[in-house]
Amino acid sequence: MLKVALVGCGTMGKTHAQGYGTIPNAKVVAVCDIREEEGRKVADIFGAKYYQDYDRMLAEGDFDVVDLCIPTYMHKDFAIKAMELRKHVFCEKPIANTVEDAQIMIDKAQEMGVKFSIGHVVRFFPAYKKAIETIQEGRIGTPKLIRTTRNGAYPSWSWQDWYSNYEYSGGPLVDLVIHDLDWIIHHFGDVKRVYAKSLNGKIKGQDHCLVTLRLNNGAIAHVEGSWGYPQGAIFGSTFEVIGTQGQIEFDSRKSSPIQKQTNHGTFSCSFENPLQPNEEPYTHELQVFINAVVENQAPLITGEQAKKALQVALAAIESSKTGQPVTL
Amino acid sequence: MKKVKMGIISFEHMHAMAYAQALMEAPQVEFVGITDDDAFRGTEMAAHFKTTYYPDYKDLLKEELDGVIICTCNKLHKDMTIAAAEAGAHILVEKPFATNEEDAKAMLEVVERNKVQIMTAFPMRFHPAILAAKEAVDRGELGEILSITGINHGKIPSGWFLSRELAGGGAVMDHTVHLADLMRWFTNSEYASVYCESGELLHNKGIDDCGIVTVELDNGVFGTIDCSWGHHDNYTIWPEVYMEIVGTQGVLEVEAFKQIARVFDVSANVVEDMVWGSNADDGLVQEFIRVVQTGDIPKVTGMDGVRAMEVALAAYRSTNSHKVEPVIHI
Repeated sequence: MLKVALVGCGTMGKTHAQGYGTIPNAKVVAVCDIREEEGRKVADIFGAKYYQDYDRMLAEGDFDVVDLCIPTYMHKDFAIKAMELRKHVFCEKPIANTVEDAQIMIDKAQEMGVKFSIGHVVRFFPAYKKAIETIQEGRIGTPKLIRTTRNGAYPSWSWQDWYSNYEYSGGPLVDLVIHDLDWIIHHFGDVKRVYAKSLNGKIKGQDHCLVTLRLNNGAIAHVEGSWGYPQGAIFGSTFEVIGTQGQIEFDSRKSSPIQKQTNHGTFSCSFENPLQPNEEPYTHELQVFINAVVENQAPLITGEQAKKALQVALAAIESSKTGQPVTL
Repeated sequence: MKKVKMGIISFEHMHAMAYAQALMEAPQVEFVGITDDDAFRGTEMAAHFKTTYYPDYKDLLKEELDGVIICTCNKLHKDMTIAAAEAGAHILVEKPFATNEEDAKAMLEVVERNKVQIMTAFPMRFHPAILAAKEAVDRGELGEILSITGINHGKIPSGWFLSRELAGGGAVMDHTVHLADLMRWFTNSEYASVYCESGELLHNKGIDDCGIVTVELDNGVFGTIDCSWGHHDNYTIWPEVYMEIVGTQGVLEVEAFKQIARVFDVSANVVEDMVWGSNADDGLVQEFIRVVQTGDIPKVTGMDGVRAMEVALAAYRSTNSHKVEPVIHI
């Protein structure tokens, strides 16, 4: 049984906590959050020890894995500290805000001989996985045009509103679009050229970006990410892969088996997508990482892969600022 | 009001079918005749639409037509426009307006000199869903427009559409112009620059069939146009004309061909989306008939066609240079 320390109990931390609940070979033994109430709530689920101070947790705690669900700008320092104590690290995406930080994390994991993986969870979303399996069976020929969207309202709920500081979050290109960049690079090929348009935080509480990629193999991709939808909008993601022999399309807003409309004083509409616990993507990604640690295998999603997605996201930011394409 | 005399030059472009149907049914129109280089097609169409076949377009133009619809291959738009304008007929020309700046200039010049109107066939301007979207934007429901994502996918056409010489290009020329026109119309702004990644990726027919065109307008709005012939043979519908308009106070998505019912035909082993929504071609032809009757400036002008064509031309330059290209206005 692997012992896990969960760091950060915001949206992602709570999601990971739920995942560990159904993972048989791992147990959350320590929980860290500077907000005592939030941290204790999660710790109590597992009977884990709560820590307000990360350094204290590292000094006192007995665990094998550190799971980082904290704002991006904290990733490097938190990961390095854990790795230096030979803890395996699972870190939420994006890996870091700069390629240099990402490299330091990758090198440190290598140096200390610990497993290191990043939560590019879209690879574990069943629709995205199934599409890749279908493409690998050759059913649409060679993929040539890939379109993805990831659109919703501005994440106004974040701790200290850290998303709004692009020095911290990287904005939607680094925080949101990176999901699709990783999926595209990993499954369809490395990127040769990037061209992007973005509001780059020019408008308060709203952003939107459109990215065109030319891959080394000649395929073209169009990646859209939005923090521009009105507050209350239902988040949606889509993909469309067109190959030489066919195409595959997916739209999350049209694929929910449950669409609920209720009125208990105010109208509410929600889409739900229930899955078996082991197929739930956040649980699945954690299970795969835990298994890699237990079996001493390389993690499915490596730091190098995460760095690659970050490089493309940063190139997109550069392109959107200079107005010219960036060749990688 | 006296009936107006109208005709169609060529059925090379399949949209001529819809236009001929509308002319045949319009009570205010005397459908004088059609011409076509292909005698078989010409006589077939003349019989079908109960009109006269003229083997030579010059003979059709001698009939003192009030209005002519030009549906030749793109390259011939210029010559036919010059002939029609000099014969004193108002003109509806199929999109793209022309295949290069010089031809476009010559066409604008000849209609000006002969005091006839020229209209570009952008039927989506008359589509009820597009019109409703435009009205919502004009009412300010979305606040200020920030970005537009456009998709104009379709199945790959055949014949001269696949000839760079006759069509002026492939998918980028064929499909960029519809959305380029709509985005310019929706934003009330002119194009500043274009970046494009495009190529022959899907169909192996010797011409560009896939492209993403990124545009920026003078007012700072940016957008992309996916002009790919991206629907394979067994796709459930031929066209897709989609825009996602992101504004400061909301988002509007419009898909013109979403008013469908899905047909499952066992005998042909086909699943097909049957459109029950309104036909935009009717509105286009009715507007042209109005222009022919009144001599008024059309709702969609020749210059509108030119401005959209300029985006496609800049997209080809950018495809080759891998740089952002300014849109050159004639």
